[in-house]
Amino acid sequence: MSFSFDEWFVVALARTIRDREVVFHGFGSPCAQVAMHVARHTHARDMLLVEGATYAVNPDPPFIPPTGNDLALQRGASYRMRFEEFFDAAVRGDVDRMFLSGGQIDMHGNTNVTAIGPLDRPKVKLGGGGGGCNLAATIGHLTLWTTRHRSGRSLVERCDFVTDMGHRTAAGSREELGFTGGGPEWLVTELGVFDYDVDGHARLRQVFPDVSLQDVEGATGFELRVAGDLRTVPLPSSAEIAALRAIDPLGVRRSEFSADELARTFTHGDGAGCAC
Amino acid sequence: MAFHLDADKRVDLERAAAIVTDGALVALGGGLSARLPMALVRELVRQGRSGLHVVGSAHGMDVDLLVAAGAIDVCEESYVGFEQDFGLAPAYRRAAETGTITIRESCCATILAQLRAAELGLPFMPVRGVKGSDIAGLHPEYGEVTCPFTGETLVAVPPLRPDVALIHAPLGDRHGNIHLDQPYVLDERFAAASRDVVVTVERIVSTEEVVGAGVTIPAHLVTTVAEAPYGAHPTSCYPDYAYDRPHIAQYVRAATAGGAELAGYLDQWVTGTPSEEAYRKAIGEERLAALRTWSASTEAWKELFA
Repeated sequence: MSFSFDEWFVVALARTIRDREVVFHGFGSPCAQVAMHVARHTHARDMLLVEGATYAVNPDPPFIPPTGNDLALQRGASYRMRFEEFFDAAVRGDVDRMFLSGGQIDMHGNTNVTAIGPLDRPKVKLGGGGGGCNLAATIGHLTLWTTRHRSGRSLVERCDFVTDMGHRTAAGSREELGFTGGGPEWLVTELGVFDYDVDGHARLRQVFPDVSLQDVEGATGFELRVAGDLRTVPLPSSAEIAALRAIDPLGVRRSEFSADELARTFTHGDGAGCAC
Repeated sequence: MAFHLDADKRVDLERAAAIVTDGALVALGGGLSARLPMALVRELVRQGRSGLHVVGSAHGMDVDLLVAAGAIDVCEESYVGFEQDFGLAPAYRRAAETGTITIRESCCATILAQLRAAELGLPFMPVRGVKGSDIAGLHPEYGEVTCPFTGETLVAVPPLRPDVALIHAPLGDRHGNIHLDQPYVLDERFAAASRDVVVTVERIVSTEEVVGAGVTIPAHLVTTVAEAPYGAHPTSCYPDYAYDRPHIAQYVRAATAGGAELAGYLDQWVTGTPSEEAYRKAIGEERLAALRTWSASTEAWKELFA
């Protein structure tokens, strides 16, 4: 079975979800959105999936539309949370995982979705953080992702603006600030997968097979820490690929990638396991 | 805030928009590509409103169009953009980068806490997050409070009392009882916390029909109601119509180009259509009818997003 990089990337995101977790994604995040549905149809069948802008609980959308606030994303849901219900649950600590991206991400998993350059005269005004600057404090775990690692401008030494706090900022650590959530647990990029070490610093755990350590080093703006047992990212199973294609027939996930990344294709060799 | 007890609150769109004065603190209802109060936004531009301070959660074309028309001074939304579909909001981005609007970006959960403080008549509400984020630096009005029970220090945020909330809904009656389909986003909270609540509806119907569908915002919170069919276009207003993706793409192209192209868009679709009736006519009956075909089949629905 052949598959394209965007499909593998989404599966890598999906695998950061554990079964029986309550999981949420922000808007403008098709990869995370598709990943949540893939997880729910494969290894995390008892997760509670909360849609990012409709707050629908465990919907079965006929397709993922290009906007996060569409009725398609409520289809099949027996219940839609109200805005307040979701945010109350998240700030009191009853949501286990959120997916979060950033135009800039630093070594401690702080993210910037507000502006590149000084905010009074930004070079680029980004969209903004939505609910992130409160949710990042109290949600159990964060899965961060970016599809622009290779640009060299995404994983940076220091964010121009911290919209959502990771493990530590100039203001202190999460513990010092009284934050109840665990902060970033994973960072998935188009080059590899990072976790966070005891210092709350990103650490490369897995690379994609067509990526070298030098590629990662050259694209990373902060000190690259590498796990002792670095390995390649496990292949997606055919069940995961099938679930993904069924949930995203319009291919909205592809909008997050450059043409070069979309051109990366792979084939299952012998021994491709099933992760279900 | 104070209840509105007039028996008949029906007005035309011009009078509804006139409740928004220059410099007002305006809460925008709906979110992203759904139920944005676009007819009111267009009418505010036609009336030449300026100096607005807008606040809300995650928004798109409503804010961008108001910025493009020079109506906004201060923007306190949590997000303004066209998601991954069309990306950054062009006029908003340009205005922020050239310093012609003040960015006071906020957070959905903070705005919710501030609206609740207003609803409860309390001087502040504590929030657990915000610390560690540079968002706090954009809000000198935030403070700190020490919990008298646990000794924890939390960020304290003041009440948010918009001068006027602008909301678009599928149904309403003459008294101002309003039915919304989910997600309500912050519309209920805006309705309870704002001094005036201006609602446009697809159809003004009998009270029985609104009650049958379910009253989401009660009449006593509503200042005025105006009938504005397709009043959310080009965003969606389910169950009536899906969003008009090609039209939004057309706007984003014009706004990205700026200059004459953006002026051309505004002239063709906003100032050059002196009323919403003219706007609907310019969009075309056929196109508007096509946006209602989403319910025919999954294939028809998908087709609208292709």
